[in-house]
Amino acid sequence: MAQEHDFDAIVVGSGVTGGWAAKELTEAGLKVLMLERGRNIEHQVDYETETRAPWDMPFRGAGDAELYAREYPVQMLNRHFTEYTQGHFVNDVENPYATAAGTDFNWFRSYNLGGRSLTWGRQCYRWSDYDFEANKRDGHGTDWPIRYADLAPWYDKVEEFIGVSGAAEGLPQLPDGRFQPAMPLVPVEQAVRERIAERWPERRLTIGRTANLTQAKDGRAECQRRAICARGCSYGAYFSTQSSTLPAARKTGNLTLVTDAVVEKVDYDPKTRRVTGVRWIDAASKQRRSATARMVFLNAGSFNSVHLLMNSASEAMPQGLANSSGVLGTHIMDHASTLSAMALMPGFEQWTTFGNRPTGIVIARFRNLDQIDGEGHSRGFSYQGGALQSGWTRGKREAGIGADFKAGLRAPGPWRMVLVAFADCIPRASNRLTLDPVKTDANGLPQLKIEFAFGKEEQAALADARAEAAAMLTHAGGKVLMGFDRPGTAGGAIHEMGGARMGHDPKTSVLNRWSQSHDIANLFVTDGAQMSSSACQNPSLTYMALTARAADHAVGLLREGLV
Amino acid sequence: MADEAETGWSRRDFVGAASLLALAVGVPGAAAFLSGLDANEAPSDRQVSLMREVAQLVIPRSETPGAGDAGAGAFVILALAHGLDGTRKPAASAEMPFAFPNYQRPDGSLRFVDWLENTLDRAAGGDWLGKPGEERQSILAALDAEAFAEGADAHPWRKIKGLILTGYYTSEPGGALELRYEPDAGRFEPKLPQSPETRAMSNDWTAVEFG
Repeated sequence: MAQEHDFDAIVVGSGVTGGWAAKELTEAGLKVLMLERGRNIEHQVDYETETRAPWDMPFRGAGDAELYAREYPVQMLNRHFTEYTQGHFVNDVENPYATAAGTDFNWFRSYNLGGRSLTWGRQCYRWSDYDFEANKRDGHGTDWPIRYADLAPWYDKVEEFIGVSGAAEGLPQLPDGRFQPAMPLVPVEQAVRERIAERWPERRLTIGRTANLTQAKDGRAECQRRAICARGCSYGAYFSTQSSTLPAARKTGNLTLVTDAVVEKVDYDPKTRRVTGVRWIDAASKQRRSATARMVFLNAGSFNSVHLLMNSASEAMPQGLANSSGVLGTHIMDHASTLSAMALMPGFEQWTTFGNRPTGIVIARFRNLDQIDGEGHSRGFSYQGGALQSGWTRGKREAGIGADFKAGLRAPGPWRMVLVAFADCIPRASNRLTLDPVKTDANGLPQLKIEFAFGKEEQAALADARAEAAAMLTHAGGKVLMGFDRPGTAGGAIHEMGGARMGHDPKTSVLNRWSQSHDIANLFVTDGAQMSSSACQNPSLTYMALTARAADHAVGLLREGLV
Repeated sequence: MADEAETGWSRRDFVGAASLLALAVGVPGAAAFLSGLDANEAPSDRQVSLMREVAQLVIPRSETPGAGDAGAGAFVILALAHGLDGTRKPAASAEMPFAFPNYQRPDGSLRFVDWLENTLDRAAGGDWLGKPGEERQSILAALDAEAFAEGADAHPWRKIKGLILTGYYTSEPGGALELRYEPDAGRFEPKLPQSPETRAMSNDWTAVEFG
């Protein structure tokens, strides 16, 4: 199909959505070039730390704090960043970004094959029409041009392919999916679920829906309950580009993969009003390379796809590629998140567990559904967390030395329950990305500048979440030890999204209902940049569904000769 | 190098000693990681012995090795030199309700090993290491009680004790003999009876993370 072009399609990025774009396009018969800015990480063979014990690690898994403070001051704050996984994160010094005065934003990144699909939290939740109608209902942001029915079959497709374990609950605000068998609740969680349901029938605690296999499929083994996913999993038991979409794309024979390719620009032909290909810098040789294609999919990660569009400004599009609306970079979001409650849960001392369950629980959104019942906020929050028995680290808080102290740390400790709230982030024009006018990166390109602040709606939602978390755990027999109502540093949910929002109107949005540029018919942005609102669910499943849907549409257009 | 002259240690000496220490405590990799220490952070022989003894008193030998046996003392020295648990932050000493001008680096961070050595010697009225075992234990127990008294959250002993526990339960004796290490569980059992004899999994990662 390529003919006068080098490729039918170029996919920029190899993470959660880049892998899906490559899979769908190659399976449709297109010749695809996938470009990854980071190094190659080959499935299984390059998971160097996967099976190492703590005593085989120089810093016992905790890592070299001195090194981290110097070169990974942001990435080290990621929950999944450890001595085992540090190779799956960027070096902050080598990959700088700018922030506006008053902005504190932790931008967690993985520049390697597979992107953040190697280190993601794997939680998979469908959005509902409460989410797709949120902007229209309360007037924040712009109305989504799609609804749940548009995406439902694509959720089906994605869930069936990647493998999502979970329990069907029949909740309209958290639609059920095509689940593999659920992982079990532990007794504390089961009891809390039941006590909450007694007192608040509309509230539902269920097992976290996670992209870890509970049944083997497609050459991937069942999850081994190790919960060391971010090191890379040779069993292929959790979804990553390496375990899932990349093998599928490679199997077609239609994929060309180039790593260490830092894309600096998407080329645009003003005469045809089409993009013609991309240019990149080879990270090792620093040589500039390019390729042409009939269409381009941007899957570089929300902020980096926006960054690339901005860096692709030209005489014809001086505000940035695909930015006739002028809204490119605006309305960025990240979930407002905090530890709402941690409680001691007495009465379960006779029970313990074996193995590491790689998911927690979720309490589905119950606020502001069919009626607005939140004070000072009009959207939702949900909780994730779970019950755990404290381990040897509790000794750090306890007095004592000697034989009794040692003996006291031998058995699992008391049960506790943790609820972490994730609240909807209001899409605001003032939260935005721009090109820094002065600072440049190692390749001489302008650094991305982040300007971001949570507002009173998020503060109100988290205050509500704290109060309700305490009420639920107390009702369930717990003794609340702590809880917070201020959002953690922005970026901390690692759900940064928006900046190239989808919308009905080309004058006020960057993308149409097919994740396709309003301005440029053969340009698609199918990662988190396209999001018009944030919901309060983890967004990756929705990104994947939107990518599969966009790829299908793009292939149709290509076949009809429309792009 | 003034510091080298003062301590009598050169980087080469330190690497060599670290290797010997690693052999003595049988900790794989210890030589490699201790060799990465800045010479300014090199401990004296006495400090190495002292930290081993302190670790052993916190977690003594029972039917399983103690923390000193398992190399936790050496780990603490490495960890402090590299600032694990925030121990190289100036704030770590600034937050402390005690004055430690003699043990602060120019950047304001605390030299925990020097502080501990001096504190124990002062409490012993001389050479703490040279005291009988019971007296050593009782002095350390008093320090522990002081550090865990109400309002003493920033006491430096808490950091050292925490790193001893990290060093022990992430060592093979602590992680796989004293506790259980189950790297390939293969299944998750949500509801098993627990008895006083149940040994916790050292690699229960959620428990490790949230304490």
